[in-house]
Amino acid sequence: MPTADRGLSVSELTTQAGSFTLGPVSLEIPPDRVLVVLGPSGAGKTMLLETIAGLRPQQSGRISLAGTDISGLAPERRRIGLVFQDAALFPHLSVQDNIRFGPRATRVAARDGSGELLRQLGIEHLADRSPRSLSGGERQRVALARALAIQPGLLLLDEPLSALDQPTREDMRTLLQQLLTQLEIPAAHVTHDRDEAMSIGDDLAVIVGGQLRQTGPAAKVAAEPAGPDAARLLGWSELGHGTAANGTARIGQLVFGDAAAAGLHGHVQAFYRPEDVQLSPAAAATPAGASLTAHVERILPTRPLARIILGSDPPIAALVLHREIGRLRLTAGSPVQVNLPPDSVRVFQTG
Amino acid sequence: MGWFGVVTWLLGGLLLAFIVLPIVRLVTTSSVASLRHAADTAAIRDATLLSLQAAAMTAGIATLFGVPLAYILARGSFRGRGVIQSVVDLPLVIPHTVAGIALLFLLGRTGWVGGPATHLGVSFYGSQWGIVAAMLFVSAPFAVNSARVAFEAIDPRLERAARSLGATPWHAFRRVTLPLGLRGVLTGAVLVYARSISEFGAVVILAYYPATAPVEIYNLFLQSGLTQSASAAVVLLIVTLATFLVLRTLASGRLLARVDRAYR
Repeated sequence: MPTADRGLSVSELTTQAGSFTLGPVSLEIPPDRVLVVLGPSGAGKTMLLETIAGLRPQQSGRISLAGTDISGLAPERRRIGLVFQDAALFPHLSVQDNIRFGPRATRVAARDGSGELLRQLGIEHLADRSPRSLSGGERQRVALARALAIQPGLLLLDEPLSALDQPTREDMRTLLQQLLTQLEIPAAHVTHDRDEAMSIGDDLAVIVGGQLRQTGPAAKVAAEPAGPDAARLLGWSELGHGTAANGTARIGQLVFGDAAAAGLHGHVQAFYRPEDVQLSPAAAATPAGASLTAHVERILPTRPLARIILGSDPPIAALVLHREIGRLRLTAGSPVQVNLPPDSVRVFQTG
Repeated sequence: MGWFGVVTWLLGGLLLAFIVLPIVRLVTTSSVASLRHAADTAAIRDATLLSLQAAAMTAGIATLFGVPLAYILARGSFRGRGVIQSVVDLPLVIPHTVAGIALLFLLGRTGWVGGPATHLGVSFYGSQWGIVAAMLFVSAPFAVNSARVAFEAIDPRLERAARSLGATPWHAFRRVTLPLGLRGVLTGAVLVYARSISEFGAVVILAYYPATAPVEIYNLFLQSGLTQSASAAVVLLIVTLATFLVLRTLASGRLLARVDRAYR
């Protein structure tokens, strides 16, 4: 059976809220994969999920789930589990009754599976508690159990980790990874956090200003962002603007050859990965890539990697292991050889 | 306490005294015997019971029709929402005698609604239906606004969550929005009751007879003077305050707790 017949297929979907238009968006989520929708605030990520869930009217396009066109169905008939950013638990119901809400409304479950879900998510001890007394992480676990209780054909997660503190977020991230792997239903997870996106997603969809900019396997999208917006979202730093001609791009003193600048002509903008910047003593041999000689302006002791601000044209910041600072004898003002390997730079045509 | 505290307490205290003193003066005017006599008087007793009954009916009707309107105003983002809200608030700014005359034109024997209703055997003029209609007109904003504020305070994502879990719009309203907004709905009903039982202006024009308690007290005041009407006024005051306090207590606490349990 083709994946489109078992997973989610969105085709040319558009919707509008005031003057903001989302789409047209086309994407597919096979049943055993997790799509992470990555985008900045106001990009239309939540709007996309709400439209797929039927909570917001679509203007055009088609949404198919397991081979069935659900575009015209009311949200209660779509069987799509939705987890909200702040959990949106019903405050007047106990944890267990929150989980039982869906099965009671839809009568999908012949038996009460809430106990099993509570056990699976490690919240059995919270069954009789009020949502008001729960921590952020507990609330999200309950919200997840509630969404799964209707045995959904699709799971939509709207920034479920963004309101959590760092340790809880990491616990929940691990839980989500395990759960989504076991479930074997298509899932879409919305976030603006690239670490979250990379650790949860099999596939990545980058959305900016209501437009889908890039989709594909997460590792490929992260390694080869299709444009400046995607590059920024995926953690690439801006190197600067320059010009390109005859297969060579020039940004300040840096010159990029065919691999990075092929097919470009005129104004360009370059991005680099700070963690891939190679630093070596000033007199060292130059490895493959674009190189220049610079001096250390400042060393910021950030964790887990230290940030080395370099005095160079264009300005460059390198992320290095703390032990490298001592090994390379980096101090403010010291000269250093800077190299950007070919796969750590992306150059985009801007004009 | 600084000068600000002194001034705020002084100004607030003066207003409180202005509210309490007339009531204290009224109550102390009447002896126990005169109160007992007033309570035993059939006309006063009937008028008080009529007021209680009509106010309770009004509270029920205002809630039944006001809650849907409140929900529309709380959740809707349609053109004309502001106009509808202004219409809801209109009875608050119309003098009640004017409201009575307007209702008389509509519900009187030759009115748009009153005419056909009379043919069907329902008369608003000089009947309990007229009393309820007059009470409803002046007190409906309390039911709508109280419920609207309660619904607006509920995160709309809760309803969306309910819909995504398989609940129809009605099911989401009944199981999520209504229980969460119930305190506001009940508070609105109590306010409608309180406003209705004290209504005079609109009632006296649309349904002078049968006399409600405020109308009966006014009649006594005209016929027998201040002292005679004071005893009847205190009887009405006691009944009104007692029922209001009981209803408000039920709405704010115990009744809600029972309803909460019932919804689980």
